[in-house]
Amino acid sequence: MNHAIEVDNLTKIYGRPGSGVLAVDHVSFEVRQGEVFGFLGPNGAGKTTTQRMLTTLLEPSEGRILINGHDLAHDAYPAKRQIGLVPEESNVYTELTAWDNLMFTANLYRVPRSERAGRARQLLETFGLWEKRDVKAENFSKGMRRRLSIAMAIIHKPTLLFLDEPTPGLDAQSARAIQSLIRQLNADGTTVFLTTHQIEEANQLCDRVAIINNGRIATIDTPEQLKRAFQRVQSVEVALEPDGQAHGKALAALPGVTTSVKMGDKWRLYTEDPPALLPLIMSYATSHGLQVVSLNTLAPSLEDAYLEITGGQVGTIRHETQEDKPRRRGMGGRP
Amino acid sequence: MSTQGAQRIRDELAQAWTVAVKDVRVYYLRPGMIMFGFLMPFFMFFSFSVRREMAAAEGLARLLALTVFFTAGATGPFIIPLERRIGTYDRLLAAPMSLLTLLLGKTAVGAFFAVTVSTLALLAGLLIYGTAIAQPGLLAAGILLGAFSFSTLGLAFGSIPTTNPGDVQMPSTLLRWGLLFISGVFIPLSQMSPAARALAYLSPLTYAQDLMNYAVLGSSLVNPWLDLGVLLLSGVLFLWPSLRLHHRARVLGR
Repeated sequence: MNHAIEVDNLTKIYGRPGSGVLAVDHVSFEVRQGEVFGFLGPNGAGKTTTQRMLTTLLEPSEGRILINGHDLAHDAYPAKRQIGLVPEESNVYTELTAWDNLMFTANLYRVPRSERAGRARQLLETFGLWEKRDVKAENFSKGMRRRLSIAMAIIHKPTLLFLDEPTPGLDAQSARAIQSLIRQLNADGTTVFLTTHQIEEANQLCDRVAIINNGRIATIDTPEQLKRAFQRVQSVEVALEPDGQAHGKALAALPGVTTSVKMGDKWRLYTEDPPALLPLIMSYATSHGLQVVSLNTLAPSLEDAYLEITGGQVGTIRHETQEDKPRRRGMGGRP
Repeated sequence: MSTQGAQRIRDELAQAWTVAVKDVRVYYLRPGMIMFGFLMPFFMFFSFSVRREMAAAEGLARLLALTVFFTAGATGPFIIPLERRIGTYDRLLAAPMSLLTLLLGKTAVGAFFAVTVSTLALLAGLLIYGTAIAQPGLLAAGILLGAFSFSTLGLAFGSIPTTNPGDVQMPSTLLRWGLLFISGVFIPLSQMSPAARALAYLSPLTYAQDLMNYAVLGSSLVNPWLDLGVLLLSGVLFLWPSLRLHHRARVLGR
């Protein structure tokens, strides 16, 4: 059986070879049929450039792309019929209603006339837009436009869906709704190529992720395997009272701590040996008259693995508002 | 031709039609279209015709050439860069249709607007001034082929890889104004010097104006069938730079 995507030696140089900017550097990978494949990387790593080449919007400088066995260089037409594309910006026609946007796309992809209305209705109901079907998209919220954009991308029932940063900028409810839709589409058999820099999103959605950095694939694996490969970025998270914030420097100076990051009212201490660090923290708290409010050891996250691979500093991109559930074991100092 | 090939052609024609209908619905009320597409030819006409002695039929032939020329040519430079900027052009480029199909759809939009506006001008000429049309069939063919030719000319500018309509509207307007003054619209071909007339024959607008003169007034300098042929040929030729520029945009990533 063909892979959904086969990429061989794909290269993109903007400008003249030799003096141009190398955006994608001889990248090779495959995406299996039916999987959710995450494409992770920092800004400027080559994610969107790669996706644009995979969707025929950009001409590669070198290399070969097969979509469901069709070579894009010579046989793009059947491949295009099997692709759905949701770009980073929701590219709906704001002057048209939700219904007309869907009808336009259905016409463009030559969905059989007898099926167009039925599919449009089903999608609008699934995406919670049926009541707004006659409202122009210019009156839609960002989340509604995003959902409409996805509906437009799948009205022709593509076997392969490209999603470029589907959730940034959306409220938590809209983001979860879209993630749920992606899971549903995948469960129905659609292969999903998800370009994102939302690491937790990739962790929750993807069967495998590729991490691209400086135009090259740094690694491809399952999220769990990637986390396992980076045991050295385990951490201990501790909250102390009173005035626990004042003890950051001292905690960072404890033996074995490689990096410390303030996480709200807590400190996260990265170490290769959490069991050895725990008694040191308890000892420090006791000697300074501090109460340990909570103390958790954390397995490496996909974000940690990602930062290790891309050369970032652990803890630098996690936001304080993100939920961060302990992943291995926890010691609640207070109920 | 195989059944599959025939089906593909039917699909591509339907897709071009879909693109055209969508564009007409989305862009007809945009300020850029109203200004450069609908009002400009009338401004130009009145600027150069007021207080000059001219028969109604002569004025109508001039106005028809102007409306077809300006309205058809305004669409491409406005719509394509705008669609590139808001991201909707990617949807069209990624769709399963050939680039030529997309360009023909876009050409049809400009042609549709041009035919509509020139029909309004024609109705005004017929109803208000009671102008008689010498060759109605040729007039219809001239409006259609002129609209096609000037729409593909505008498309060539619209295909320049940019996301800012202003970047292409400026050179496009500059060229169209230049063509306007060399093409026998304001100074009849018969009154031009041989050198000026030789230059005029390089402009497709010359043939559109000449054809309008023949269709409305019943006399022209060039054979009307040659006028029609040149308009058709120039329309096809103007598609070539559009194809090349789209290929360039695909290489550059714009």
